[in-house]
Amino acid sequence: MARKLLLEKANVEGIRGYDVYRREGGYKSVEKALKMSPNDIVEEVKTSGLRGRGGAGFPTGMKWSFLAKPEGVARYLVCNADESEPGTFKDRYLMEFLPHLLIEGMIVSSFALGSTVSYIYIRGEYDWVTDILDVAIAEAKQNNFLGKNILGSGFDCEIYTHRGAGAYICGEETALLESLEGKRGLPRIKPPFPAVKGLYGCPTVVNNVETLAAVVPIINEGGDAYAKIGVGKSTGTKLMSACGNINKPGVYEIDMTISVEEFIFSEEYCGGIPNGKKLKACIPGGSSVPILPANLLLTTAKGGKRLMNYESLSDGGFATGSMMGSGGFEVLDEDQCIVRHTMSLARFYHHESCGQCSPCREGTGWMEKILRKIENGKGELKDIDLLWDIQRKIEGNTICPLGDAAAWPVAAAIRHFRDEFEWHVLHPEECLKRNYGLAHYADRIENSVTT
Amino acid sequence: MAEEIKNTAPQNFKVTIDNITIDVLAGTTILNAARMIGGEVAPPAMCYYTHLKDSGGKCRTCLVEVSKGSEKDPRPMPKLVASCRTTVMDGMEVKNITSEKVLDARKGVVEFLLINHPLDCPVCDQAGECDLQNLSYEHGAVQTRYEFARRTFEREDIGPYIQLHMTRCILCYRCTYVADQITNSRVHGILDRGDHSEISTYISKAIENDFSGNMIDVCPVGALTDRTFRFKNRVWFLKPMDAYRDCDKCCGKVTIWNRGDEVYRVTARKDQWGEVQKLKDGKPAWICNTCRFDKKHVTDWTIEGPTKIDRHSVIAQGHYAGNVGMVKPPDPLNKVLAGRSPHLLLNIHDQSEVNTPEVHLGENEGPSVYETFNGEPQAQGHNVTDVKIGDGTNEKETDSINPNV
Repeated sequence: MARKLLLEKANVEGIRGYDVYRREGGYKSVEKALKMSPNDIVEEVKTSGLRGRGGAGFPTGMKWSFLAKPEGVARYLVCNADESEPGTFKDRYLMEFLPHLLIEGMIVSSFALGSTVSYIYIRGEYDWVTDILDVAIAEAKQNNFLGKNILGSGFDCEIYTHRGAGAYICGEETALLESLEGKRGLPRIKPPFPAVKGLYGCPTVVNNVETLAAVVPIINEGGDAYAKIGVGKSTGTKLMSACGNINKPGVYEIDMTISVEEFIFSEEYCGGIPNGKKLKACIPGGSSVPILPANLLLTTAKGGKRLMNYESLSDGGFATGSMMGSGGFEVLDEDQCIVRHTMSLARFYHHESCGQCSPCREGTGWMEKILRKIENGKGELKDIDLLWDIQRKIEGNTICPLGDAAAWPVAAAIRHFRDEFEWHVLHPEECLKRNYGLAHYADRIENSVTT
Repeated sequence: MAEEIKNTAPQNFKVTIDNITIDVLAGTTILNAARMIGGEVAPPAMCYYTHLKDSGGKCRTCLVEVSKGSEKDPRPMPKLVASCRTTVMDGMEVKNITSEKVLDARKGVVEFLLINHPLDCPVCDQAGECDLQNLSYEHGAVQTRYEFARRTFEREDIGPYIQLHMTRCILCYRCTYVADQITNSRVHGILDRGDHSEISTYISKAIENDFSGNMIDVCPVGALTDRTFRFKNRVWFLKPMDAYRDCDKCCGKVTIWNRGDEVYRVTARKDQWGEVQKLKDGKPAWICNTCRFDKKHVTDWTIEGPTKIDRHSVIAQGHYAGNVGMVKPPDPLNKVLAGRSPHLLLNIHDQSEVNTPEVHLGENEGPSVYETFNGEPQAQGHNVTDVKIGDGTNEKETDSINPNV
């Protein structure tokens, strides 16, 4: 049983309330942090090697040290709780069951960054979670962990929740800031980065819920202790939200040394694939990251075991690897149709494109229409090449990463499952009746015939 | 930040765009630096507008490759960047038309812009001065690969003077910036998101501001058209003249588009990039709705002379004798190619000796082949058919033609 840092107390009865949380050792890190200097906290986070848990995996300590600190200008900490990635639901779990952990992490981080007003931008659909957080904030305030002069240290801090209105794009940090300011949620053109010019034109740090929660164990036990967990540059623990064709979907806290095979098939985690079906493919990090067929998921192209961490999942680049992303682990068994799956993702990105820059605005809709055509047995072989060309022209040419996020799933599906697309085109009637089944490369690499 | 910029402002940066190096002030964008060189080197821009703050970055047609970040940090930038929103660094090297990647991406962007554009140029008032038309001629593909229904909208009159044809809109957001920055109040904006987002006034409000007509001038396509000019004439049949009148609301300096005594339409004066010209004090010459829509007779105006028109433009065709008012655009291609000439698949000079000085064309006898031709037909002597001048019909029925018959 691997060690849990975040979800250790998630099952304690009443942990949602302040009293139980405090009795279980909560808010110790605030007491400790307020005696440290803000720079020491930033250094501690740097030492810990904590990487952003929202998807990009940028080192948090480094992000914090980039924050501009001009005299007389307010600084803001914004928590990105707009968790809208299909397949990712770890932040909701964390906020729902351990709201005080997030608040505690935010107080420490606000102190480290000098933010006296911090925001939690939470997606609108999580309305009951917002209520839970509001209660937690009120409780923390009653007990002088928020408000004026926290614990007599002279540090003032307020935390506000702000509900989004149902837009995936507002999970992009600059669109989130626009939305928080009350404008249309359109991503800003960078530079300037939020660390220089963010919320209301002031230096701002935007961090994911899990990242801010992970600050608590880092302060409690020290950055070095945190860095010892995990492997390489993937330090600490990571929440994975597993879903799809597995026996035990849910949120799991892993230390990043276990293998993908263990994660899917061991009883401790996903518990294998139901009904004795075979593993066909998997999206290891939320819908935006490239899909991998079973053989490349379990072993890297070099033949080594693929582990559940940042480096190993992205081993081989996009040709044979994927990304850790936000930790939305979607498993597809042999009955799933890759074309249909890709189409529904393309539909999602078409629906969620903000419409600001042209490649994403027009390209996402175009890809969806072509995929719909292929899925309905009306496709042509040239459509597959056209799809490839469209995704290539969207990727990297847009203002924000949504364009990339829309292009990667389509690219990976064609890269790894081209024969399934071609089967759809060449068997227009059969593809409406049955699914393609297991791709031949879903076998283990050693079983597949090399040409 | 503001102070940092102030400290570095007088400094000049050297930037190389497509092998041409120029000095520009720090803080200049790549696009503006390229425009100083001019010609093909300047990337096209559909959404960027110099006089509108915060515009740009959206259409992605001005993407360029930065092959060297700066003298201090020579790493290339990983992605193509929007040149209209990226400022130059000292020693930066930029590739625009010399980069395959850029041309390919730009072709993609043009295709994306056109998939939901109706291509109704034959009935569109913007035709002839349309940025999208120019862009697709220069950078677009020959044929579309899009085979689905295009999005369409109903036409809408937004106010007494302007018609919105949303189907043609490419969502550059320029008109919203005009309303924000030039007029006192904005009553229109973008509704919805993604490819179904639209410019609209919320609940059919009328746009009645005195400077709202400038929205028509900044629109890169025919989405916003002048209702007083719709379907009256094609722009290339009209003669543009610089004119002015004393106006208490605006600068009164305009371009009138007339034919005979009738002024068909009035627009602001545009520079070579299609943007409103600057006045002497550096402010853009926006004009008011009175000048634009109500003064439609030549006697309302004092005419300064023909408007300078880029001779590549269709509007320049056949207007004034002696090329009055024509502007020859700069041609930096020789410099871009740095003396190299393009490799031709078939160089005619390698195949033919016509233009080689060793051959004296006038001194040869015999048949009119390129080696011997002197300008006179010489159908005698070594002629292949042995038919002489005046010999009558060609009895041997060869395929030679007698020039005297």
